[in-house]
Amino acid sequence: MQVVVAEDLFLLRDGLTRLLSAHGFQIAAAVDTAPGLLRALLEHRPDVAVVDVRMPPGFGDDGLQAALEARRQVPGLPVLLLSQYVEQLYAREMLADQMGGVGYLLKDRVFTDEQFVDAIRTVAAGGTVLDPEVVTKLVGRRSRNGPIARLSGREREVLELMAEGRSNTAIAQQLFVTEKAVSKHTTSIFAKLGLAACQDDNRRVLAVLAYLNS
Amino acid sequence: MVVMWMFMILVWRVLSRVLRRYGRWALMVPVAAMGAAVFGLNVWTAATVLLALLLAVLLALVLVGWRQAGTSGLLPVTMLGAGICGLWAAASMARSWATAGFSVWNAFTVVVPRPIPPTGFGSPGPAKLRAASQSAAKLPAVTAAPGRFVTFARSGPPWRVVTGRIPRAVVRPHVVILGHSLWWGRLLILGSLLLLALGLWLSPRALADLRALIRRVAPRLEGWRREGNWGILLVPVTCFGLTIFGVRPWTVAAIVAAIIITIRWPRLAADLVPLVLVVFAVYGFMLVSRWVPGPRMLATPQPTWFGAIQVDSSQTSLLAGVEASALLAFGAWLFPRTVGAHARARATTGHEVELAGRVQRLTETRDHALDAAAAELRRIERDLHDGAQTRLVALGMNLRALERMLPASPEAARALATEAIETSARALSELRLLVRGIYPPVLADRGLSHAVRALALDTALPVELDVDLPGRLTAPVESACYFAVAEALANAVKHSGARRVHIRIEHADGLLRIEVADDGTGGADPARGTGLRGVERRLGTFDGILAVSSPPGGPTMIAMEVPCRLLSPKTSSCFGTG
Repeated sequence: MQVVVAEDLFLLRDGLTRLLSAHGFQIAAAVDTAPGLLRALLEHRPDVAVVDVRMPPGFGDDGLQAALEARRQVPGLPVLLLSQYVEQLYAREMLADQMGGVGYLLKDRVFTDEQFVDAIRTVAAGGTVLDPEVVTKLVGRRSRNGPIARLSGREREVLELMAEGRSNTAIAQQLFVTEKAVSKHTTSIFAKLGLAACQDDNRRVLAVLAYLNS
Repeated sequence: MVVMWMFMILVWRVLSRVLRRYGRWALMVPVAAMGAAVFGLNVWTAATVLLALLLAVLLALVLVGWRQAGTSGLLPVTMLGAGICGLWAAASMARSWATAGFSVWNAFTVVVPRPIPPTGFGSPGPAKLRAASQSAAKLPAVTAAPGRFVTFARSGPPWRVVTGRIPRAVVRPHVVILGHSLWWGRLLILGSLLLLALGLWLSPRALADLRALIRRVAPRLEGWRREGNWGILLVPVTCFGLTIFGVRPWTVAAIVAAIIITIRWPRLAADLVPLVLVVFAVYGFMLVSRWVPGPRMLATPQPTWFGAIQVDSSQTSLLAGVEASALLAFGAWLFPRTVGAHARARATTGHEVELAGRVQRLTETRDHALDAAAAELRRIERDLHDGAQTRLVALGMNLRALERMLPASPEAARALATEAIETSARALSELRLLVRGIYPPVLADRGLSHAVRALALDTALPVELDVDLPGRLTAPVESACYFAVAEALANAVKHSGARRVHIRIEHADGLLRIEVADDGTGGADPARGTGLRGVERRLGTFDGILAVSSPPGGPTMIAMEVPCRLLSPKTSSCFGTG
């Protein structure tokens, strides 16, 4: 699997490339600036890009902007954002095109490399992975009017885990229920959010979006 | 003679001591007293002595700075004058004595048929005159009839002895008294000479003092001249009123008032000059209108004076009109130079007051800003010390232990490694919080509007946003405004029980306006909570203000205004979004 790594700190970039190589990824390019990232993405068209949000030249959200621009030119290009902090605002902007293949994780998550690699694979497969911290913040908000308010407690838990990028199997394990029960919940969620039964993965993304927009 | 010299020396010593002690002004009193001796004791000489005393006391006690100038200029003149007067009196007396002596030798007696009636305060009584006549009687060969009085006339041929009825006006009784004692005469000459000598001695010193005074006053005069002190004109302009209204108590009072105003409030005097000129001009025009021939002119008006012109006909009234026009023109010319200039000066003064207030406000806000910055640094230091730093130390210790344990007990080492990972994650999480508290990353990345949007997303309440901010602001302003909104939002969530919050941000005419309104129970008071007070101070650093409207029962509206400029048009993407 081809990966482009964009990270301006040498130690982290080096660590990431080693980690990914160790897990069988091929490093197409490792860049340290936002314009370099955009060029590498358009040139290599990797299966997934691991991108730091804050990068030169602006040291603002340059990495995010470069990734968004790349996705505008290559729709659905899977991008996993890494950052020292997570902002719902950025998660929303990444998900806005409803194409899926989006991840947004704290850099801390790199510590647990299995989860991290799973997340990369989910994103590469077109799934959505949001950092638990983003999800926790969402949970912290009061339920209000709208489709999300119609969800039951269990359904909401399932949606939270869905937003974190877990598969039905993982969700079943986490909640100590059968996979069948989880799939029943997801179907109910999609129905309540008014999402037609077409592409399952896309529906998951839309559900998460609905969750974010609530 | 010896006695006289001793007396003179005594007088001199006393004088010199007084002079040393009280300054030259002290001489005023004896000089004035001498005047009284020369001219007789009557109302005005007594008044002079009193005035001298008063002046002396005043000069000594109050006007210390003017003491020398006031006295030294006055004294020599007075002394020289008094000395000359005294000498002249003595000379005329000497002539009288000569005549007297001559008449005595010729057994010529001057007989006044009856006593001179007392003529007032200063006139010697009959007893004194009697004594004088007795002393005259002691002279050899004088045959003075008892009860008769001898006198000398000072008017007319001086040495003509007047007999019979003498007109009271020409009699100088004191000359009689002095003239009858040679001692008195000599004393008078000596005193006069003394006065002259003193006056001459004082004159150069007085001149030096005068020069010193001029030097001291000169800068003030120079300032006067530069300022264009039109106030001096007030007195002559007021005197113009005399020609119209005549010398009356109130016109004189007006002139005195004008003099006082000119001295005391020169600026007011300058302001009054054009006004008075215009009033006179208007009066002049009224005068002219009275003399205009026509049906309205019922009878010939009274001739009146207007300045240099006596208005008694239509022709002269035209001249008065010309004069009034000149007055009006002069007043109009003066107006911008006096009233206008002073108004401008006053406006400048107002500006200065404003500046002083501004300086004070800047000083206060700078102090607040410095205090806040120091407190913030202390907080960060404490957070780092107690949080991330401690965790990193623990992490290092864990890793060291892990290194030792690894060969012996891999299981325990694994547990330790898990703990180390957790510790590092916690340290990172704390650092994240700290960084967010110092300068929120979204704010750094994208500016105020996005940061507030992110803040709204993280808030548990539904927040409506209405942001119109076409560019970035300077980092300190963005930060202050961000934390202000955060504080207002936190208050709304924690205290108000609001169901929704509305935030409006707009920038217009160099003013950033932020409103945070909620539909809660109200009762927010910046005076009680430290949060809003802190926000107020922080905004104050940028001349910003905070207004809270929060009546009990709600709703609450917090409005903030910060003067600031936009840095650049918004660029949401460095790659261009189009």
